Amino acid sequence: MAHKILIVEDDQPILDLMDLLIRKLGYEPVLISNGFEALEIAKREPPALILLDIMMMPIDGWEVLEKVRSEENLKKVPVIIFSASPTIDEKMAKIEDPYLGVLKKPVSLNELKAGIEYFLA
Amino acid sequence: MDRYVTFLGHRVSHTDMVRAFVILSLSLSCIFITALSLERQVGMVYTQLFYFPILYATYFYPKKGLWVAGICALAFEVLSYLYVYPNAVDLISTTGQAILFILIAVVVSYFTEKVNTSEARYRSIFETSLMGIILFDQNSFRIKLTNAYAEKMLGYSEQELGSLNFPDLFASSDEQHRFFERFGSNEDISDFETRLITREKNLFWITLSWRRITDNMVSCSLIDINTRKNAEAAADEHFAQYKQVIESSPTGIIIVRDDKITYTNPSFTHFSGYSPAELLGKDLLKLIHEEDRVDFFPADTAGKEKAALPEIREYRFITKTGSVRLGTLFFTRISQKGVPAWLINLVDITEQEELKERIQQDNDRRRGIISTVAHELRTPLQPIMGYLNLLTQDPQTYGVTEETRAILDRCAKSVDRESQIINQMLELSVLDSGKIPLKYSAFRLFDMVKTIIDTGGYATKADLIVDVPEDVTMEADENKLSIVIDSMLSNAVNYSKPPRKIRVAYQFSSNEQMHRIAIQDNGVGITNSQLDEIFEPFQLPDSANMSRKYDRIGLSLSIAKKYIQMHGGYISVDSIVNLGSTFTLHIPRIRPREETNHGT
Repeated sequence: MAHKILIVEDDQPILDLMDLLIRKLGYEPVLISNGFEALEIAKREPPALILLDIMMMPIDGWEVLEKVRSEENLKKVPVIIFSASPTIDEKMAKIEDPYLGVLKKPVSLNELKAGIEYFLA
Repeated sequence: MDRYVTFLGHRVSHTDMVRAFVILSLSLSCIFITALSLERQVGMVYTQLFYFPILYATYFYPKKGLWVAGICALAFEVLSYLYVYPNAVDLISTTGQAILFILIAVVVSYFTEKVNTSEARYRSIFETSLMGIILFDQNSFRIKLTNAYAEKMLGYSEQELGSLNFPDLFASSDEQHRFFERFGSNEDISDFETRLITREKNLFWITLSWRRITDNMVSCSLIDINTRKNAEAAADEHFAQYKQVIESSPTGIIIVRDDKITYTNPSFTHFSGYSPAELLGKDLLKLIHEEDRVDFFPADTAGKEKAALPEIREYRFITKTGSVRLGTLFFTRISQKGVPAWLINLVDITEQEELKERIQQDNDRRRGIISTVAHELRTPLQPIMGYLNLLTQDPQTYGVTEETRAILDRCAKSVDRESQIINQMLELSVLDSGKIPLKYSAFRLFDMVKTIIDTGGYATKADLIVDVPEDVTMEADENKLSIVIDSMLSNAVNYSKPPRKIRVAYQFSSNEQMHRIAIQDNGVGITNSQLDEIFEPFQLPDSANMSRKYDRIGLSLSIAKKYIQMHGGYISVDSIVNLGSTFTLHIPRIRPREETNHGT
């Protein structure tokens, strides 16, 4: 049974791409474009990993991350920040979380593979 | 003035000659009349005649007059003897007369002498006085008499002064007018300061005092106060200068004694919003923001050496309108009339602080915009890159031919470059905002260079010589320095043609302050005129055709320059066109102090 990967991303072309790429890498993608919705689904059925975009409305990726970590059953779910925002490094420097990774857009297929396998291999 | 003639070897004045002639003729007349009256038995009325020459002579020449009296008395006695002898009564009478002559002469000469002495005394005072003295007629103002000092002061001779009217000596009609006003009061004046004009048209200050000594004669003394006046003027000018400096200073200046303001300049008055009258005597602390009042005055260091330097602090002030202004204060301990006081200079930094804040806001906004733009530019790259990866990595599934795959690979490269350019632009804009701190650590240079070469695959692209001793350690931001060296190597590859020769060398010198790392290539080189430009963003050697030829954008050198500058170092370039370039990184061995402060 393939690992479920929750993809939280509000850009439809990227969502379409990720659907293809994640399948290609042998996982089962769950595509969501809204942070609140993603939180609900994750709470109900914790995924193996969350790919999380940052610049989203109505709540951004950092808030989603915060809420995810406040849920007991989601504390240890690996989250990969998946963003084109240039301020990620500043933010990341302030967070200590062994289950948190970063992939900066644009990400190549190989990088994506390596990133996911870091947590799931 | 007397004129003189030389007579028998003596210098004799005309006046003396005339007087001698008068005395002689009077004496002879008296002797002649006496002889005639004795001859004719007219009686003794003639004896009084002798008083004329005797009085005349003794009055003018007290000593010589006695001789005249003696000779006259002798002549009278001789004549009397000739005519009245042997009448004893007459003889006694004539002898008495002769003695009376002498007595009168003695008395007259005594008093004349006395008068002359005192006159000489006054004359000498008058002549040698260090005060100018001028006597003038109070109706015509014609100058009657002047002393030597007055003549010297004014530069005129006595005769020249004698032909002038006193008011002619004043420097201007204004001064004349003032003089007439005071003079008209009919009082004796002793403190009239005015300016006179000399014959050479120089102006000078004097104090005039005058007194009416007779009904129409005024004696006027002149005391030279020019030196004093000039000194006063100089002092006034000095004072005016200081005053001007203080009054027009953009720095607020106050003097505070016992917490009370005893002086304020217009700058401070303006700053505070109060009027000078409101400020004087006001408790300074009442102007200070409540939170800043504690320990407002610096610890009293009076008497200690440290007190020589002003203390500098920043305070919030509450102005009259209640608004808060920020000022930098410079405290200096002074003594005002023997009482210790504070001289406080104030620089209004309210606007400066506001400006700083605005610049900060501008920078933040600019960073925000750049950040958003970068995000928006990168996001569409993701699907392109992703699909390209998919197509090239799994050509069978998508029916991609070998030829198509080569094309798609080129597309992927372009996406990489695009992505890299955006990253560099972003990096530069962040560096410009100056917010990135360095993360210092100690590392071995050789290991770093080796890692860069391995990661970048430079060994396969060029004939590479690494001339770095293995034991060289550096203290720097390892990540940033490795980006710099990487871009230097990348440039060396990109701006040269095979066979490429690249050398990385650590230039060792024990007593130098700097690490020197040289990256040498055998590429196209850089002309002198291009040297200044290559470190500027978006400058390339001969950007018009070079950029197309080598397909590179020149942001990496700008970033490299900024990184090395952040370390307190610099990059130098030696280049010969068509032979190659050497870029040398100079990095301080000891990390600069300012970086230490926020190097975490």
